[in-house]
Amino acid sequence: MVKVYSINECPWCEKVKKYLKSKHVDFEEHNIEENEADRDACYKLTGDTIVPITTIDDKNYVVSFDKAKLDALLGL
Amino acid sequence: MSIYDFVVKTNKGVEKSLADYKGKVLIVVNTASKCGFTPQFKDLQDLYMKYKDKGLEILGFPCNQFAGQEPGSNAEVQEFCRLNYGVTFQIFAKGDVRGDNAQPLFQYLTQQQGFKGFDTAHPNAALLQKALEEHFPEYLEGDSIKWNFTKFLIDREGKVVARFEPTTEPSALAKEIEQLL
Repeated sequence: MVKVYSINECPWCEKVKKYLKSKHVDFEEHNIEENEADRDACYKLTGDTIVPITTIDDKNYVVSFDKAKLDALLGL
Repeated sequence: MSIYDFVVKTNKGVEKSLADYKGKVLIVVNTASKCGFTPQFKDLQDLYMKYKDKGLEILGFPCNQFAGQEPGSNAEVQEFCRLNYGVTFQIFAKGDVRGDNAQPLFQYLTQQQGFKGFDTAHPNAALLQKALEEHFPEYLEGDSIKWNFTKFLIDREGKVVARFEPTTEPSALAKEIEQLL
């Protein structure tokens, strides 16, 4: 399952989510501002609390709205 | 009066009594609120990751009373957001830590541990001293907080045992933290 780590009022997060929807990619949103477990998971994965983070396997991830990298990660 | 009598607001506006931290070793630190990422935030986070399971808590109080220099500032638009300056310890609501509107907790802390000068062994000490003399000479007076990242170390019984000026890097606190844990 594709995961998107996000926070509230984050324009970059919105861009990622919109893009995934436009490509009919199902994803789970994990808001690290609202949920401590998600925040810790994001921190563990990336060593930071930067968002948006998109990951498909909890190992490889894409920071920000980087269309080329997102396409590569998700096989789009 | 003890540190456990204070109630403060988190960055979410939730009231938190410091009595909730009884039994923990605490570092209370005033942080820059406009800097997105400074080395001291990362160093504090490293300390936190190292000792939190042994009973260390770090309480960060953002403040914009100090015209913060942002190291490594770049002109590009950041294409991401960072939550809480990249740290996972508790950040509290922005407020004053010096002057007429200094929040009560910081009035108490500076009464418990006064200013003993900047750590002259640190290369930045002379720079900070000079900058303050030139631009904010009144900040040098008395026991007030002088700049971002002043740190207070509190033992498990709530005693404010030490104060470290901004020029003391978080990693230098490790030995004293270990003695208290």
